[in-house]
Amino acid sequence: MEKTRWFWVWVITSLFFRLVLIYFPENLNLGFRPEVATPLTSLRRLAEGYWLKQSSMSPYAGSMYHGSPMLLSILGPLTVKRIEGQPSHLMCSLLFVVADLVTAMLIRATGQTLQLAYSQSLRSLNLVSLLESSETLSAGDIAALVYLWNPLTIITCVGSSTSPIENLLIVLSLYGACLRIAPLAAFGWVLAMHLSLYPVILIIPVILLLGYGPDAPPRKLFLQKNSSENGNSPSCHGNYPCNEVTSQEKLPLHPFLWRPVMHFMLWASFWLFYVFVLCSISLKQHGGLLEMLKRTHGFILTMEDLSPNIGVLWYFFAEVFDFFRDFFLIVFHINILFMILPLAIRLKHRPCFLAFVYIAISSMLKSYPSVGDSALYLGILGLFINELAEMKFSFFLFCGYIGVSLLSPVMHNLWIWRGTGNANFYFATAIAYACLQLFSPDMDKWHGPALVCFCPPESVFQLLQGWSMGLNRRGNLL
Amino acid sequence: MKPRMMAGSSGDTKNPKIKPRPIVRIGIFLISHSIVVSLLCFAAGIVALILLPLFAKNTYISENALMPGSANSMLSSQDVKEANKLVKDIIGLKLSSEEARIEIPRLIAQHMADAGSEVYYHKFHPQMSQFYPLHFFSGSPNSGNIKENHSCVSHAINTVGIIRAPRGDGKEAIVLVTPYNSEKVELGEALSLALAYSIFSLLTRVTWLAKDVIWLAADARYGEYASVTAWLRDYHIPQFSALEKLDADICFESGYPHEQNENQIRTDVISRAGTMAAGLVFKVVDKHKETDKDTLSIYAEASNGQMPNLDLINIVNYLAVHRQGLRVKVEKLYFLLDSVFLKIVGDVLETIGKVARSLNARWEFGIPVADYIDGAATLASSMYHQALGVPTGSHGAFRDYQVDAITLEISPKVSLNNEVRILEFLLRGGRLIEGTIRSVNNLLEKFHQSFFLYFLTSPSKFVSVGVYMIAFGLLVVPLPIIAASLYCDANVLDSHCIKEQQKSGPASTNEAGIAFQSWRWLHAAKVVLVIHLWGAIVSLLPYLMYQFPEMTPTTSMLSWGLLSIASLLFLHQILGSPYSCVTVNQSPNREWAVLKSMMIAAAGIGLGLMSIINFATAQIGALLIVPMCLMVHPLKHVYRAGRLRTLAVTACNISLGFIGFPPAAFLFLKAYSEGLGSVSAGDFWNWVESLWAWNSATYLYLGHEGYRLKHCRHGHCQGGQNQRAGEQNDRYRR
Repeated sequence: MEKTRWFWVWVITSLFFRLVLIYFPENLNLGFRPEVATPLTSLRRLAEGYWLKQSSMSPYAGSMYHGSPMLLSILGPLTVKRIEGQPSHLMCSLLFVVADLVTAMLIRATGQTLQLAYSQSLRSLNLVSLLESSETLSAGDIAALVYLWNPLTIITCVGSSTSPIENLLIVLSLYGACLRIAPLAAFGWVLAMHLSLYPVILIIPVILLLGYGPDAPPRKLFLQKNSSENGNSPSCHGNYPCNEVTSQEKLPLHPFLWRPVMHFMLWASFWLFYVFVLCSISLKQHGGLLEMLKRTHGFILTMEDLSPNIGVLWYFFAEVFDFFRDFFLIVFHINILFMILPLAIRLKHRPCFLAFVYIAISSMLKSYPSVGDSALYLGILGLFINELAEMKFSFFLFCGYIGVSLLSPVMHNLWIWRGTGNANFYFATAIAYACLQLFSPDMDKWHGPALVCFCPPESVFQLLQGWSMGLNRRGNLL
Repeated sequence: MKPRMMAGSSGDTKNPKIKPRPIVRIGIFLISHSIVVSLLCFAAGIVALILLPLFAKNTYISENALMPGSANSMLSSQDVKEANKLVKDIIGLKLSSEEARIEIPRLIAQHMADAGSEVYYHKFHPQMSQFYPLHFFSGSPNSGNIKENHSCVSHAINTVGIIRAPRGDGKEAIVLVTPYNSEKVELGEALSLALAYSIFSLLTRVTWLAKDVIWLAADARYGEYASVTAWLRDYHIPQFSALEKLDADICFESGYPHEQNENQIRTDVISRAGTMAAGLVFKVVDKHKETDKDTLSIYAEASNGQMPNLDLINIVNYLAVHRQGLRVKVEKLYFLLDSVFLKIVGDVLETIGKVARSLNARWEFGIPVADYIDGAATLASSMYHQALGVPTGSHGAFRDYQVDAITLEISPKVSLNNEVRILEFLLRGGRLIEGTIRSVNNLLEKFHQSFFLYFLTSPSKFVSVGVYMIAFGLLVVPLPIIAASLYCDANVLDSHCIKEQQKSGPASTNEAGIAFQSWRWLHAAKVVLVIHLWGAIVSLLPYLMYQFPEMTPTTSMLSWGLLSIASLLFLHQILGSPYSCVTVNQSPNREWAVLKSMMIAAAGIGLGLMSIINFATAQIGALLIVPMCLMVHPLKHVYRAGRLRTLAVTACNISLGFIGFPPAAFLFLKAYSEGLGSVSAGDFWNWVESLWAWNSATYLYLGHEGYRLKHCRHGHCQGGQNQRAGEQNDRYRR
């Protein structure tokens, strides 16, 4: 009881803290930071798109707005609503605070489900002593608090970017999948994909979650246990069918359930159809669906906006020759796709962790990353608190995150405002950030063998090469 | 590479025969010998700092387009004679200060208009220095539109003339600034006005001009920096308030010079001439000090350790030395010239250089003693001014708008009392400035080729960022090493403890403790965070105190101190004592080790960031903070060691804490330099106030470190705080 009370106190404090910060938007000016607002998520661009639409032009005219038309119809009216004497985007900011709260609650509920599944599987493996020790902390509570109190989340929430909504939808889909509510999972997944494209790869963990249920120890552990127990009975020794039968009886070896998956598929196609219909209605006069796909998903895939952000791609495409551009676009996007299959095979018994790894990887390699993405995966990371207890490099990573997040505005200032630095300075921060993110999926030391992401080191190496190329071409580093 | 490396180290525990990778072994070696390594690095850092003048390179002009001195000077003695008339006119105005305030701008404007340029008056109020804590984050350098009620008399009037370039498109400009005090014009100021006029009138006639030229005759009644800042602000950020216009109309009769000419000189509009390529502030100083040559002093430091591009200094230096035969100086700390220590170091270096040359004639790294001492004194001055963050002249205002600017202070070799001398002097100075303008006029892009991050050791020698960063790096490297070793030691210690407990008692009680062992530092992180938070609050407190303007410095200082302590107690109550929740199986020894490692890591990050923002501040900070971080040790635990060691450690801690506590250090320095009688608490307040006015990064070195003494007692000090907040202050300074 005591613990629950403290949890709610902290939640309310975090909300209050946000509300206080919202009152100083002019002073904080976070909406202008490239780390917070990307061309896809900036609320200022959304307001511009809404204005264009109100004056019966295409919201995508002039390459200002690149989000979904649905977001425009929901958030757009809120951007123009002003209360006398209050900050301009107050309504939107309040909405984002609510979104953050809902996300945190969903993470908490997911965490509780995971914990339940975890304790069940431990019990079935007769590891009750381990169970007692691990129940000291509720993973869901911690993950929710980590999400709410993460400075990156707070900055994203206050800095008028639409990332809180995207994060909410992603978490919603995971939550739906964890509880095996196919319509909810499909709804979250379709909308998240519609808003920012990259969550499309989350379909694999979602299907695994629906099929196998939440994270459990690997199958072979169960099989091993069965065989060791069966080893006592000489009649079954070396007898394959016999072994099979006992395992079916003794342990809850979840088979893959096709029913919820099919449900999910049906619901997903329904939601997708529904979203497309709504969008085409909203964009009837302005080029319809094709225009929308070109301006939203096409914009993400072709990396048209090369303004600096905390990712690594803008620099690369600013430097690369035009006739190599298409080639490298394909290379960088396939980079993400390449990692999907091996990771899915390796982690198929832990779909939630798989989802976390996917989110982390896509937030590292996506075209317009922002701190909102890392806020999401750091929050989800809190779900695995029991597994991470033995993490070796936690202190190092913590210092790294602090250092990089402070370094980034400094370098930006040096480059843009003082003029004493140049793009290389800021990009160095982006590289450091990418290297740091490399460690995050790889931290799962305790549970299972180290997950060697074979692609990211090489891709970062490529980028380093690109950087040195840029240095040579620019001639002067300092 | 890293993930595989980690995989290797994890495999290590399973199979002890596998040797770790070399990089891991190096890391382990460094951590296990951390004390020796950190001492070595620290000593090497200090030695490298002392050797910096030795590594200075000769300057060179990096941008080819500049081509200094490639054209003959066109300034003729006729122009100079005209200018001399202006000097006589200005000096001859026997007016009261009230009339002079109006009459001199009129005179200058008339001359400008006669030369054939656009003229306007720029009227401004002196701005109160204000401290806006939250404006670090906002984009605009213009701090709100606070309109105060000024009487018309309090206006100061800048006179601005613009020549439109015959070959340019009006997109770029070069700015000349001549500050003068309108209430009491001295000969030097009149001469600088005349100098500017001679060049200005020449430039209206030349055909090669590709950038517009702006001459700002800045009314330095409220300080030259204020006038230049006001003009630059209005130039870059236009204000469209009706109130101001009304104000202008009311004051028009009394505040503005009456114009006899037909061409009305505008007062309500600011004419613009595109982005500024460079700014030249020049002054003539009549020092009456006999030297063999006319002297040119170059001042370059802008706010917060920013420097103009080195090429600008290079061309001025080149033209002054090789074309006009001036002696060029940069500022140095003169008291260092007599320093015995520097002399000894210089002697040693010279000897080493000689020996090396006798061994191999191609080894040339020794420099003469005199050069070394001179270089060291100049370097120290350069570092001091950059660290303090207060600009050395009105050129500092330009840097806030990313314009490279320097101040040229020309002083004649003998007193200027006869006309021939004056003419010769004006001709020489004028040709120097004309040559500089011609060079800058050739520029195709902004200054970007040469260095922005450098220290000067003489007008023609500099230490670049690549060199001085090494000294800094050596100084700071002990911090991460010590932090890592402390952290590892604490973990090892802890696991030993747990093993012993496991032997003695039932294992299951400690399971949770083991499970979260690697996250134990979170508690230490909380303590450090709370203290940094407190530091931030303390550094923002003066904003609150600015609301009561009638306080004297002494009371302000006292109330600041009291409020700081009160806020500390408040935080202590709210967020709990740092030592309230020590878990059972955590030995106190381990606890302080983790705390110290966290603190050192924070200090290291802070220093690293600061070195990017303002290198000199970080360097001086590192000299103070690194030994403090390394020495600090809980006094409770020291008593177990021998008596002598106890005394030594205690004395070191307390003295370092004392030096690190800024008010104490400041008062100590003041008492040392001026005698004990003059010391009062208010001095510190005044000093701090002057630093805010410049938004100096150094400001944040102050204030919130009283805690350090207390912390020394408990076993940790906070070091990174000042940088952290400092860099906030600094980052958003435009």
